[in-house]
Amino acid sequence: MAAPPAIETAGLSKTYGGKVHAVVDLDLRVERGEIFGYLGPNGAGKSTTIRLLLDLIRPTAGRACVLGLDTRVEGVSARKHVGYLPGDLRLADRLTGRAQLDSLARLRGHVDPALRDELCERLGVVLDRPIRQLSRGNRQKIGIVQAFMHHPELVVLDEPTAGLDPLLQNEMRALLRETAERGATVFLSSHSLDEVQHVADRVGVIRSGRLIDVDEVEGLRERSLRHVTITFDESVDPSDIGSLQGVRVVDVDGPVIRLSAPETTMDALVKLVARYSVVDLVSQPADLEEIFLELYREADDGR
Amino acid sequence: MAAELLLRGLRDHRRALVGWCVGISAYIALVASIFPSIESSPEFNDLVENYPDILKSLFGLAEGGNITSGAGYLDVELFGLMLPLLVLVLSIASGARAFAGEEDAGRLELVLSYPIRRRNAVLAKGAAVAGEIGIVCTVAGLTILAFDPLVGLDLSLTKQVSAIASVAALGLLYGWLALAVGAAVPNRALAIGIPAGAAAAAYLVSGLHGLAGWLDPFRFLSPFWLVGSSPLQRGADSWGIVVVVVAGVIALLAGSLLVERRDLETP
Repeated sequence: MAAPPAIETAGLSKTYGGKVHAVVDLDLRVERGEIFGYLGPNGAGKSTTIRLLLDLIRPTAGRACVLGLDTRVEGVSARKHVGYLPGDLRLADRLTGRAQLDSLARLRGHVDPALRDELCERLGVVLDRPIRQLSRGNRQKIGIVQAFMHHPELVVLDEPTAGLDPLLQNEMRALLRETAERGATVFLSSHSLDEVQHVADRVGVIRSGRLIDVDEVEGLRERSLRHVTITFDESVDPSDIGSLQGVRVVDVDGPVIRLSAPETTMDALVKLVARYSVVDLVSQPADLEEIFLELYREADDGR
Repeated sequence: MAAELLLRGLRDHRRALVGWCVGISAYIALVASIFPSIESSPEFNDLVENYPDILKSLFGLAEGGNITSGAGYLDVELFGLMLPLLVLVLSIASGARAFAGEEDAGRLELVLSYPIRRRNAVLAKGAAVAGEIGIVCTVAGLTILAFDPLVGLDLSLTKQVSAIASVAALGLLYGWLALAVGAAVPNRALAIGIPAGAAAAAYLVSGLHGLAGWLDPFRFLSPFWLVGSSPLQRGADSWGIVVVVVAGVIALLAGSLLVERRDLETP
């Protein structure tokens, strides 16, 4: 018999005070061995969903199963095999990193000391100083170690790379891939498509508490917008640039043109502007909110 | 597992606990070292006899009590107000901090994401609060015991044990109540305010019920009245201590059930 999905929710809803709909009628299914990116702007309901899965808060309606166990009935059994990194990690400030990890190990009851030591070494965790003296990134590393140190079948990470430098973000991605390779599941929330798209297999997009799309990462990449600012040698007629599929000219200021373009058109765009003399070209990822706006604009255009 | 929360609770507060023990011992030492000069001045009894009834009632100056005896002196100076007050401040602070305080600081998020049943977390923290009260009360008792022969307090050991037990029982009740309120509602102010207000009201009822007739029927509701006043002279009420501890257990159990019904708050 196949193992039940890592996460399965049906009509999961959370309403605060009868008014604030933090999560609305969520149907989500995450398979075993998958890295699932849970994407949405701040306040979209990502952390609320995660806290429902961990039974820290209780649903207003619907239900959620983690590793085949109903969170409301068998949450304790489910959480034995779950590792969690909170978005707003608060540790025992007076303890050293080592004492904090030891304490969490005793609290969990079963951890792999060898794995914990390996993780600490790999991430360069500062073990012998009180946590209150540590930077945000160094605290985050302790949080990552505790989420992985018991060979969890499901790892739930709420904005895990916050405060980590790029080198560690890479290490983190490698860790996630290894986790998935040994058959465990990763559920990863983020507000940045860039952060998720290099590691996730599938991405769910949530906005205002509603899951608006679940897609393979490749599908979403087409929507991944770039802000491009090109400075030419002299003023250039923007009309042929604007005629590229998906490209929108935002602003023309003499020789400087600002536009937004999907990542997939970058090649064509660069080849097209190469005909002119280019002084500078800056490309930045647009944030998710803008990608949504673009999505809605497309929808309106299609009508 | 959940036992780790008990040990952590005690370990995290060990410095504060040492401070409490030193402070209470120092206070007891001060009070005890004054006793010889009180003992040699029988006119104190006449002075106290002329106190207004309301003061005598509040300070637990028992009818026929003798402030120049060791037991009567400590009943007034220690067990009448100061020792219960200190132990209650410790207990309520500790109980409120254990759940409401940790939740406020956002530290329960990770702990409760572990495979720990919330009610077990509350009970483990209740055990930690009891441990703190036990340590402080034991140190207070041992300090009194140490000074007894030095200044000639001439106390009865059984009455002393029952006196300390009555203070510990009050500490358990209000400490567990603070923990339970914090477990039931995510509000640290209530977790401190409710037990502190209840304790103050109960203290007044116990002290004044004899003077304010309308309070008299309510005296059964006062844990202070239940354990009895002037414990070193008359012995604390064993059944009263049992009732108070049972009430504390009920509060703790109620808190451990109510905590399962609510959402954990983020700071």
